[in-house]
Amino acid sequence: MTSFANRLQRRRWGRVLLSSTAAAVTTQPPELYERLAAFDDALIATGRRRMALDRFFALTSGREKPGRFWRIDYESIVPDARAIDIAELAPSIENSDPAVAVLDLSTAAREHPELLGRAFDTTGISVTKFGALANAFAGRGVFIHIPPDHACDEPIVLRYNVQAGAAIFPWNVVLAERGARVTIVEHLAADAKAFICGATEIVAEEHADVSYATLQQAGEGTRVIVQRAARPGRDARVAWASAELGGELAAGEIRVAIDHPGVDARVTALFFPRASQHVDLVSTVEHAAGESTSETLVKSAARDRGQARFLGNIRIAPHAQGSDARLRDDALLLSPTAHVDSVPALEIGANDVKAYHGATVGAIDAEQIFYMASRGIERAAAERMIALGFFEPAVERFPSSSLRDEIRAALAQKLS
Amino acid sequence: MPDQGLRIADLRCRVAGNEILKGIDLTVEPGLVHALMGPNGSGKSTLAFSLTGHPHYEVTGTVELDGEDLLSLTPDKRARAGLFLSFQYPASIPGVRVANFLHAARQAEKSGDLPPAKFRALLLEKMDQLGIDPSFMGRYLNDGFSGGEKKRLEMLQLAVLAPKYAIMDETDSGLDIDALKDVGNCIAALRESSEGSAMGLLIITHYPRILQYVIPDVVHVMIDGRIVETGGPDLAHRIEREGYDKLREQAAAAALGTGAAV
Repeated sequence: MTSFANRLQRRRWGRVLLSSTAAAVTTQPPELYERLAAFDDALIATGRRRMALDRFFALTSGREKPGRFWRIDYESIVPDARAIDIAELAPSIENSDPAVAVLDLSTAAREHPELLGRAFDTTGISVTKFGALANAFAGRGVFIHIPPDHACDEPIVLRYNVQAGAAIFPWNVVLAERGARVTIVEHLAADAKAFICGATEIVAEEHADVSYATLQQAGEGTRVIVQRAARPGRDARVAWASAELGGELAAGEIRVAIDHPGVDARVTALFFPRASQHVDLVSTVEHAAGESTSETLVKSAARDRGQARFLGNIRIAPHAQGSDARLRDDALLLSPTAHVDSVPALEIGANDVKAYHGATVGAIDAEQIFYMASRGIERAAAERMIALGFFEPAVERFPSSSLRDEIRAALAQKLS
Repeated sequence: MPDQGLRIADLRCRVAGNEILKGIDLTVEPGLVHALMGPNGSGKSTLAFSLTGHPHYEVTGTVELDGEDLLSLTPDKRARAGLFLSFQYPASIPGVRVANFLHAARQAEKSGDLPPAKFRALLLEKMDQLGIDPSFMGRYLNDGFSGGEKKRLEMLQLAVLAPKYAIMDETDSGLDIDALKDVGNCIAALRESSEGSAMGLLIITHYPRILQYVIPDVVHVMIDGRIVETGGPDLAHRIEREGYDKLREQAAAAALGTGAAV
């Protein structure tokens, strides 16, 4: 019998690039390698975990180095081996639908290796620097399986509550089979000074419809680095929504690889660094097949010494005719010391496509304040309302009204 | 009481160094309708912004609202004192829903006077009066609104806030005849209500059109930053017949005369 791990081992790593330019920049602490043995060998063989950890040390993040204003050095980020605690269990799960399986990864690897193998580690996440790190220590996290043509009416809710000082590596996998429909809401909370390096993968087969939303409210001093990637099939719909509101560093990538026609992809992100928080987000939508649409919407605000960077990639391959890609990102600066860098990057290889991008960075408009003042609303209250309103088009795209209200409340708190 | 009214005395206003208002004296009494007419560029809108406290305007003189010194107050406090401006070009504020905005404004100006259910009932009644579809409540404030929709929303705010004194800046511009009638009916209903019966109105307009629907008690004509003529409703009719040219010539002659006297 072939174990799940062996099955994976035979998969080819065509896209792994360990070029000589990606030189190791940090020493490789042996105690980190020693921790690998404690993780589920049936899910990922220890040898492959070691290779993933090698990749983490060998690869560079590709992100900007610390400079005039940016203060985070990605290349030096390494989890503390002593903080890696596998005893802590999986997230709490709310799922009222008996047809939908929500299993921890180890159980899924034992009981449903076939299904898990159709989605787990199939989106290329583990070839990125922090994706490789998440892969090396993958174990916590869930596998969500929705059978063909099944519509899941209630959102499935995952709640991660990470202890202070812990390092965890949640790897979530969604497999929506042909025509299935599901909404997943993930709450990521952590006490102070935790380290979270995770991944979420969505495989939406033909005509499937998957919506995945995350509200990240980690505590002070916590670093959160999450890679998200989706692989929609023909005529499938995928919607990512991410609200990054906590932590000292919230970084990650949201990626949709459109390899089939008829795909409708949505990416929504909002973030709001204040005090000395950092956010660094990349979104990438690759239209490798035509007759597909994508709509990326990013709203960010920053105050105090908060810093954020957003890189929005749209790539349309030469043969992806009939693609329709939209990218809109707006940043609101609420303090003179706050900083947001916003870079839309469009690579368009086909000629019969629609591609739109728009970006704004600015402070609150004085005419808006005056208009509200003329209705008796005090300046501070007006600024709060306007800033909350600024986020609203993005908030509206999150699934479930209770989640939207939670996001609004969290934003209001950051504005007070 | 002797100090009742919106009392404007020797109001002067500079914008980027240029004197736009050159000494305005005008009193709007409670319950009365004043119309302020004048050609484009005469300073009518500047007067509206000077009274409401727009930060770009340097204003001197005195303005009292029922005895309270307005010019020393921030714009939001002027509004809470009972002054309202219906904007010619209201700002759009994406993401802020009309219902939330109206509620916040009512709370700011008349804190806690109406329980939410009654406020909602009031809104629905006024919206019906103004021909505003209930779906408006969920829309973003003035975002993507047509000119007519914006003006109707300004009127809805006037009706919901029921201020002591309201300035209507070119509310009639860009309105078709039906919308104009709705605006007229809304103001008439407000003035008949107990909340609005003592409201003083200053209607700023370019054309006398709106004055067919809201009959003014007093009409002023402003030219080049000064009020050059004050009269009854028939002054509006005269302007409709003759235009502003005659008054403009008189004003120019008067200005020359003053110049010669100095």
